[in-house]
Amino acid sequence: MVKRFRSMTYPYIAWIIAIIVVPMLLIMLYAFTTSGNSVLTFQFTLDNFARFVTDKVFMDVLLRSLYIAVITTLICIVLGYPIAYVIAQRGSRSNTILILLITMPTWVNMLVRTYAWMGILQDEGILNTILSWFGIGPVSMIHTSFAVILGMVYNFIPFMILQIHTSLAKMDKSLLEAANDLGATPVQAFLRVTLPLSLPGVISGITLVFLPAVSSFFIPKLLGGGQYVLVGNIIESQFLTSGDWNFGSAISLIMAVIIMISMWLTRKADVQVASQGKE
Amino acid sequence: MAEEKKKLIQFKNIVKSFEDGQVVLKGVSLDIYENEFVTLLGPSGCGKTTLLRILGGFLQPTEGKVLFDGEDIVNVPPYKREINTVFQKYALFPHMDVYDNIAFGLTLKKEPKDVIEQKVMRMLRLVSLEDYAHRNVTELSGGQQQRIAIARALVNEPSVLLLDEPLGALDLKLRKEMQQELKYIQQEVGITFIFVTHDQEEALTMSDKIVVMNAGEIQQIGTPTEIYRNPVNEFVAKFIGETNIIDGVMLEDDLVMFEDKKFACRARGYGKNEKVDVVIRPEHLDIVPRAEGMLKGMVKSQLFKGMHYETMVETRVGTSITVKMQVSQDRPVYNEEKGEKISANAFLLDVEDVEELDDAKVVALASAEAWDAETEEPISIKTVEYDIKPETGNYTVTFSTANETSITVKVLVVAENRVESKVYQEEIYAMNFFKKVEDIQESIALDTDLETWASASAWSLEDGEQVEITDVKYDFDPETITPGVYEVTFSTEGYEYKVSTTHAFEEGEQVGLVFRPEDIHVMKKEGQW
Repeated sequence: MVKRFRSMTYPYIAWIIAIIVVPMLLIMLYAFTTSGNSVLTFQFTLDNFARFVTDKVFMDVLLRSLYIAVITTLICIVLGYPIAYVIAQRGSRSNTILILLITMPTWVNMLVRTYAWMGILQDEGILNTILSWFGIGPVSMIHTSFAVILGMVYNFIPFMILQIHTSLAKMDKSLLEAANDLGATPVQAFLRVTLPLSLPGVISGITLVFLPAVSSFFIPKLLGGGQYVLVGNIIESQFLTSGDWNFGSAISLIMAVIIMISMWLTRKADVQVASQGKE
Repeated sequence: MAEEKKKLIQFKNIVKSFEDGQVVLKGVSLDIYENEFVTLLGPSGCGKTTLLRILGGFLQPTEGKVLFDGEDIVNVPPYKREINTVFQKYALFPHMDVYDNIAFGLTLKKEPKDVIEQKVMRMLRLVSLEDYAHRNVTELSGGQQQRIAIARALVNEPSVLLLDEPLGALDLKLRKEMQQELKYIQQEVGITFIFVTHDQEEALTMSDKIVVMNAGEIQQIGTPTEIYRNPVNEFVAKFIGETNIIDGVMLEDDLVMFEDKKFACRARGYGKNEKVDVVIRPEHLDIVPRAEGMLKGMVKSQLFKGMHYETMVETRVGTSITVKMQVSQDRPVYNEEKGEKISANAFLLDVEDVEELDDAKVVALASAEAWDAETEEPISIKTVEYDIKPETGNYTVTFSTANETSITVKVLVVAENRVESKVYQEEIYAMNFFKKVEDIQESIALDTDLETWASASAWSLEDGEQVEITDVKYDFDPETITPGVYEVTFSTEGYEYKVSTTHAFEEGEQVGLVFRPEDIHVMKKEGQW
């Protein structure tokens, strides 16, 4: 029986090969070859990587991207955790409504929402108009790291809230009663029981925020303008403007490795949290 | 004994109502002494867990005081109370190992590490899980988790341990073991245990004092023996153990009458001719030869219970009524032209029911149906014509289909046919009826159908409540019944006594029952005190 059904997976395997494996191999092929190769004359090279590593401009962009992603993730945790906590404390009905409110913005295309932020943050935008009523500004906000981080936090925080909320909501409430019963004040109970038990949620939230943040390209493009370039923008421009597919592929590959390492680190942290009791 | 001890906890007129208006506790007052094993016993929803949670500090009473060592603790948060709880589902911290779970309370108090270790290891020894200190709690069995939860609570040296149905999730064998162990632990640490359960056997085995609760009120407080021997009302008697409860009348001190016979008993202080409930436990009844019995009856059924037999002895049959069933084999009317058949039977009707008659009822009473002669597909009956007056007499009903295939049957309107049983204050009612052979042959639940056809019902003359008809007797074989007149008898349940016996009796055996005056327990009737 199992054998017979196994053949049903073939279309999916073919699909995965066509959509994921082949493009990945192509990227690797491009990354390690010189430009202008015809199919017959492959010239293997590490120049693309050398160019990225040695050029200070590119390294700066990479570090900036990582920095922005880390800051975004931290802000998402700091803002998202209390929100998730408050929602989880609520009764099931307001709970559902609040979760709906959190997820509702994601029903609208991310690009559209980012354009909306442009309108809000512009020098003559809504925010500056409001500020001018109080005699402040105009404050230049668009095309700064503030605008980019704001855009990213806004776009990615629902993922963090949902992940933390899920882990808080499935926590057995009697554990808190037990902690109180054993002499823990509400603060101690939170630190010793709620927080450690919600860490798996925080960790998967980190994965879901950090990964898109580090490779995002249209948020820095729209809200950061030309001034604020991140890795995603460089990759995009290599493919679309410069036409240097080989260098673009090399940067993509470097990012893929960085992402893989960070995922491996979070997974390790996750396992550690899960098995804390076994130490 | 109890008077010498110190009152540790006093509940003073505790009322708890929830936001939805539900009143869970209706003014509960209870004193709990030092070093007692107290069990709060009652069915689910009786308020026992609510009372426990109020003591633990997880719920605020709507009204009333909780005194602990003489001080009102209603506004003291749980973490400041010298009370620890073993929760229903243990609530062990899944992210900590056994050791850290038990040490949780001590680390909060910032006790030195070596002291903590000593205390934790002592607790692990007490619950015989020394080797499990560094196991993950989620890997433990239910019984082990249970013990860890107890250790985690006891390590804080509380003066009271609350246990909220802690044995509910365990299997029977483990439960029995844990009952023993809990009792042992309680004697070992010498503190007050307040144990909540709905299991009466558990309560009887472990407690020094049982508090029986029902519907937010305390029914009775006493030692297991007191509660078992002298229940104060029907609820307690039925909830604690198997029992026989019989209606009786107190004639004078130490003399009670039930089943129209007088018996010596040990009960004083009742009014002359006061109606009472008489309780006799199954193990206090003995089966003897019929001639020697104080009550005489017949063995009705017997169940093997392992240690003993549970024998039901019927001392009196219930109220009964016999009606006549006229069975006919009416040929269906055949309309050859249209290829249709129609059938119906004559029926009897009570004068009082004429008013409520409608077409649907008439069709049902007559079992009228029409069908296609070839395909046997049912055809709907379009018209029902009748002119029945609320007077006794003979009437007719005509049923017809759209194609004018019709049949006319007799309806007999009669006066009531009921039997009253004055002695036992019961009345039963049923009517003679007509039926077709096929209806009886095709019936799936004949007893129930006979009750419906005869409109049989019974009720108590005291309070008007419905009494179940438990027995339907007839002397025909429904498979091979032929047209004719048959008798059907409906009866209510008689008086039955549950008796624990060590050896088997034949069903239908004529026997006598004996009991000693001291084994008759008399209670006031529910709702009269």
